[in-house]
Amino acid sequence: MLISRILRGGVVVLVVAAVAAWWITRPQMIAAADLPDHRPDPVAGERIFWAAGCASCHARPVNGKRAKGDDKLLLGGGLELDTPYGVFRVPNISPHANDGIGEWTPAEFVNAMQRGVSPDGRHYYPSFPYTSYARMPIGDVLDLKAYLDTLPPVSGRIEAHSLGFPWSVRRGVGAWKRLYLVTEPMAPGASPTLVERGRLLVEGAGHCGECHTPRDRFGGLIRDRWLAGAPNPEGKGRVPNITPGGENISEWSAADIAYYLESGFTPDFDTVGGSMVAVQENMARLSADDRAAIAAYLQALPALH
Amino acid sequence: MSYLNSRSLVAVIALAFTSPLLAGDDPRHERHELMEGVGDAAKPIGEMLKGERDFDAGVVMMSFETFDKAAAQFGDLFPPGSETGEDTEAAPAIWEDRAGFDTALATWSDAVDAAIAAKPQTLEETKPVAGPIFDACKGCHDDYRIEDE
Repeated sequence: MLISRILRGGVVVLVVAAVAAWWITRPQMIAAADLPDHRPDPVAGERIFWAAGCASCHARPVNGKRAKGDDKLLLGGGLELDTPYGVFRVPNISPHANDGIGEWTPAEFVNAMQRGVSPDGRHYYPSFPYTSYARMPIGDVLDLKAYLDTLPPVSGRIEAHSLGFPWSVRRGVGAWKRLYLVTEPMAPGASPTLVERGRLLVEGAGHCGECHTPRDRFGGLIRDRWLAGAPNPEGKGRVPNITPGGENISEWSAADIAYYLESGFTPDFDTVGGSMVAVQENMARLSADDRAAIAAYLQALPALH
Repeated sequence: MSYLNSRSLVAVIALAFTSPLLAGDDPRHERHELMEGVGDAAKPIGEMLKGERDFDAGVVMMSFETFDKAAAQFGDLFPPGSETGEDTEAAPAIWEDRAGFDTALATWSDAVDAAIAAKPQTLEETKPVAGPIFDACKGCHDDYRIEDE
C-alpha cells in the first residue's frame, strides 16, 4: 500500500516536472501582428548584411576555403564549425524556395533572427548568434530579409548538426534561452548618438560579443566580462580583449580602430589574422561613419583587464 | 668523463647538428627581420593615409624602395628545413603550394614596381598605388601565415 502510494506520488512529481520542463523550454515568438509597419529597403539591408557577417558562415566554401569576392553572396551554407559541443553544419539561407529560405515570411525570418526559432517551431542552437541579433532594430532585420531576397538562389540542403549529449537535445535550448537570450543593452550608459549607433552594430548585427566575451560552463556569455577577451572557440589561443583595458587596443586611437576595420592593418602595420580576417572584410564594406561609431562605442566601454 | 663534461658534449653535438639554423643567417630569423622592416616602412604611409602625419613624397618613395628590396629577397628565405621552429609564423602552405606562394609574392612585387613607377607626389596619388601593395600583404598573410596567438 505504502509503496504504491510512493510510486503514485513519484509519477505525479515526474509528470509535473515534465510539464514544467516542456513549459519552460517552449519557443517564445514574436507575432506577425506585432511587426512594425516598415517598408523593407534592400539597399539598407545590404549594410546590415555586411555588419552581421552573414556570409562569413553561410557563404558556401569554395574548394574547402572560405569564399571570397562575389562568392560571398552565394549563401548555400555547408561550412562546418567544429566546437567542443560537436559539429555544427551551417544551413543554406539563400533565397532558394526549397533548399533555402526563399519562402519564409517576414515574421518567420524575424523569429529566426531574434528569437532563435525556426518556421516549424524548433529552437536554433546559439551557434547562430540570435542572442546578439535580438538587439537589432526589427526594421534592420526586415531590410536584411529584403536584401537576402535579391541574392542568387543556391540549391542543396545541408546535413543536420552532429552534437554530443546533452547538447543534442534541441528542446533544451529553450531553457538556455531563458537564461541567456536577453535583449537589453550589454553596456548601457552615456549614449551620445555615435556611441549608440556603434552599440547597435557591436552588440546587435556585428555580434562581436559572441567571440570576444568569455562564456560560462553552459555556454552563456559572462556579462561582467563583456568584450574582455575569451578563449578562441575555434582552436588555440585567445580572442583579444577589445575594451579600453585590452593589452593592445589600449594604445589605439579611435582612428586606429576605424582604420583597422577598414584596411585590416594594426597601428604597427601588422595585418589582421585568423577568423577576424573575414570579419574585417565585412566591416570594410560599411561606411566610414559606421566604423567610427564602432570605434566610439568600444572606446566608451569600461576598461576591463 | 665527468657529468658536467658529458652534458657539454651533448650540447656541442646538438649545436653541431643545428648550427646552420642557430647562426645569424637562419632564414627564419632573416625573413622575420625583413618583414619587420616592411611593417616599419608601411607605418608612415599608413599614418599619412589616416591623416596622422603630413604627406611626404620622399618618405613614401623610401618606403616603396624598402618594399622593393624586401620583395626581391623574400622568396629565397623559405628553404626546406625552415618550416617550423624559432616561432616562425610561416604556414605549411608555403611549402605545400609553392607556386601559389610565388604568385602571391609576385602580386606584391608587381604592385610595388607600379607604385615606384608612379612616383606619387600627393596623398591622393599615393592612395591608389599603395592600396594594391597593402592588399597584397593582407592576401598573402591570409593564406601563408599562421596566427601566433
